[in-house]
Amino acid sequence: MQTSRKLRRVALFGAIAMVVASAASAQEVKVWTLTFANDSANKAWADIVKEFEAANPGVTIKVEGRGTDEHKSALRVASGSDQGPDIYFMWGGLGLGGEFVKAGLSLPLDKFYAEYKWDDELLSPALSFSKQYEGGRHGVPYTFHGEALYYNKALFEKAGITTAPATYDELVADAEKLKAAGIPAITFGGTVNWHVMRLMDMILETKCGVEKHDRLMGMQVSWADEACATASFEEFHKWTSNYTLKPFMGIDQAQSFNLFLGGRAAMMLEGDWLVGQLKGENRTADFGLFPFPTGTDRLYGFAEYNYISTKSKVPDIAAKFLNYLESTDVQQKHLGDFGSISVNKNVKYTSAEPLDQKWIEIFGKFPSTFVNGDQAFPLDVTTEYFRVINEVASDTLDPKAAAAELQKFIGNRS
Amino acid sequence: MLLAPAVLAYAVFAFYPMIDVIQLSFMKWNGLNADKHWVGLDNYRYVLHDDPVFWVAFKNTLIWTFLSVIFPPLIGFGLALGLNQNIPGRSPLRALFYMPVIIAPIAVATMWRWMFDPFFGLFNSLLSAAGWPNLIQDWLGDRNVALYSVFIGYVWEVAGFSMVLFLAGLQGVSQTLVEAARIDGAGRFQLFRYVTLPALRPTITIVLILSLINSLKAFDIVYGMTGGGPAQSTQMLAMWAYTQAMQLGDFGRGSAISVVLLLITVAIVIPYLRWTLKRQEAYQ
Repeated sequence: MQTSRKLRRVALFGAIAMVVASAASAQEVKVWTLTFANDSANKAWADIVKEFEAANPGVTIKVEGRGTDEHKSALRVASGSDQGPDIYFMWGGLGLGGEFVKAGLSLPLDKFYAEYKWDDELLSPALSFSKQYEGGRHGVPYTFHGEALYYNKALFEKAGITTAPATYDELVADAEKLKAAGIPAITFGGTVNWHVMRLMDMILETKCGVEKHDRLMGMQVSWADEACATASFEEFHKWTSNYTLKPFMGIDQAQSFNLFLGGRAAMMLEGDWLVGQLKGENRTADFGLFPFPTGTDRLYGFAEYNYISTKSKVPDIAAKFLNYLESTDVQQKHLGDFGSISVNKNVKYTSAEPLDQKWIEIFGKFPSTFVNGDQAFPLDVTTEYFRVINEVASDTLDPKAAAAELQKFIGNRS
Repeated sequence: MLLAPAVLAYAVFAFYPMIDVIQLSFMKWNGLNADKHWVGLDNYRYVLHDDPVFWVAFKNTLIWTFLSVIFPPLIGFGLALGLNQNIPGRSPLRALFYMPVIIAPIAVATMWRWMFDPFFGLFNSLLSAAGWPNLIQDWLGDRNVALYSVFIGYVWEVAGFSMVLFLAGLQGVSQTLVEAARIDGAGRFQLFRYVTLPALRPTITIVLILSLINSLKAFDIVYGMTGGGPAQSTQMLAMWAYTQAMQLGDFGRGSAISVVLLLITVAIVIPYLRWTLKRQEAYQ
C-alpha cells in the first residue's frame, strides 16, 4: 500500500517536473501581421512558420493576422500593455512605421543587422527605410513592392492601342481612345481611400516633379501656393470624371478587381502582388503591365517591414525567425508568394511568367522610389488627404479649391 | 451592503472610464507612450472650430437619431400589434422578425453592402429588371443617399428589438379593461387609442429611450458599410471619436468628441425622462 503511494507521489512529481521543464524551454514568438488578400502569401507564412518550428524545437511561432485598420488599432492598444507581439508588421518609412518607432515600440536592430549581415543579403532600396529613424536601425524589410498600371490586352486592342504609353500625354491619349470605344479606362474602389489615392500620388509626381512632390508630401511648402498641386487636383478630377468606371465611390478594391477581371475597365493601378491574384484566377495571359509614365526616374512603391517590439522577452529568437524569413533559401522557395520580387538580392528569377518578368524589368529600370501618400504623410494629414481627394472625386469640391483646403488643415495642425 | 458588488462593478467599469475620458479630453496623448500633457481646452477648440469632419458627423448623428426614434419603433410597434393577434405561424414569425437583432452587426453590414453593390447588388438588379434603370443609384457611394442607405440596413437590424419590447408591453394590457370598453361600445380605434396606448406608455418610454441611446452610439453598421465615407459624408460622432483616438492616435481629441456626445445624450435623455415620469405620475 505504502509502495503504491510512494509510486503515485513519484509519478506526480515527475509529471509536474516535466510540465515545468517544458514550460521553461518552450519559447513563444508572437507575430502580428496582416491577413493578406493574396492567399498564396498567407499559405507561405504558414509554411515558413512550420519549417522554422521544425528546425527549432521548443520554439513556437504564433501568427495573428488582422485587417489593416484593425492591425493598427490592436498595436496601439497593445503598446499600453505587456501583452503585445514580439514581432509586428508595419510599412517602412517615417509615416506609418515611423509613428511606432517614435513611440518607442520598436527595438533598435543594429546588433542583429551586424550579426546576420542583412545589409549584405537584402536589397538596398528596401533597406533604406530602416536607416531613416533616429537612434539606430529599425525593422527588417520582408517585401518590396512597386505599383504600376495593369491593362486588359483585349480592351486595349479593341480601342486600337498597340503599344504601352511612354509619356503621360500618351497615357491620356490612350484613355481618350478607350473612352471613344465605350470602355472605361480605369477602375478604382472608392470606399478604401488609399486605392484612388494612388492615382493622385502618380499625378502629383507627374505634374510637380521629384523635388516639389517630396516637399509637398513633407509639408515643407504650401499646397495652396504651389500651382502644380492645384493642377494635379484638376488633372485627377479629369480622370475621375471622364476615364474611371462609375460608380466607384461605393465599392472597395476587391470589387474593383472583380470588375477589372470581368473586363469592365481597361486598367487598374496595382502593386506587383496582383500577379499572384491573377495567377490564382488563371488569367495572367489576359493582362499586360507598364509603369505609370510620370516622367521621373522613380518607381511608385514601398517596403513592408517586420519590427521587433521593445517589449519582447525573446528578441534573439524573434531576430532568428526574421533572419530565417529573409534567408535566400526561404525567399527562393516562396518567390512570387509575397510579390514578384524578393527583398533578398541573392534570389534567382526563373519564372517564365511574362508579368513577373515585366516586374523584374521595371524594378531594374528605376533607381529610386517614391512612397504612397498614406505612408508619406502623418496619419491625421492622410485622413484629410483622403477626404479632399474623395470630395474632388465625388464632384463636391472644386478641384481648384482642393489644394487650399488641404493646406488649411495642415496649417491648423498643432 | 448588498448593493456593494454592483456599485463596485459600476465604479470600475463605467464611472472610472467616464472620468478618465473627461480628464483625457483636456490632454494631448498619442496612446503609445507615457507622454501625456495638459492642453486645457485646445482639443475642444480644435474639434468645434478647426476639425473639417466634426460638424458633418454631428449633423449626421442628429439626423440618424431623429430617424431612429421614429422608424424602428414604429415598425416594431406595427409588427408587435400584428403578431399579438391570434394568427397562424405567430411564433415562427416573431422569431423571424427578431432574428436580425442577434446577427453580428458587422455581418449585417456585409450583407447589406452586397445588396447595395451598384453593379451586381440586389436593389439595382431589381430596378434594372423592373425597367427603371433611371432609379439605379450608387447607394453607398453617393453622399446624398449613402447615410439613408445605411439607415435602411440599421432599421432591418433593430426593428425586431422594439417589436419584442412592445409585445411584452401588449401582454400587460388588462383584458378586463378591454372587455369593459367593448361592452361600453368602443370600436377598434377607440380601444387602441383609449385602452391599449395608455397602457403601453411605460413601454413606449423605454423603447424611445433605448432607441435614442443606441442611435447616438451608432458605430458598427456604419463602420462596416461605408467606413464613414464617401469623403466622411456618413461619419458619426461615435465613429469619429474612435477614429481620432484609435486610428489617428489622438486620444485627447477622441475623448473631447466623446464628451460632446455624452453631453448631447444627457441633454436629450434626462429632460425626456423627467417629462415622461411627470406625465406618468399625473396620469396615475
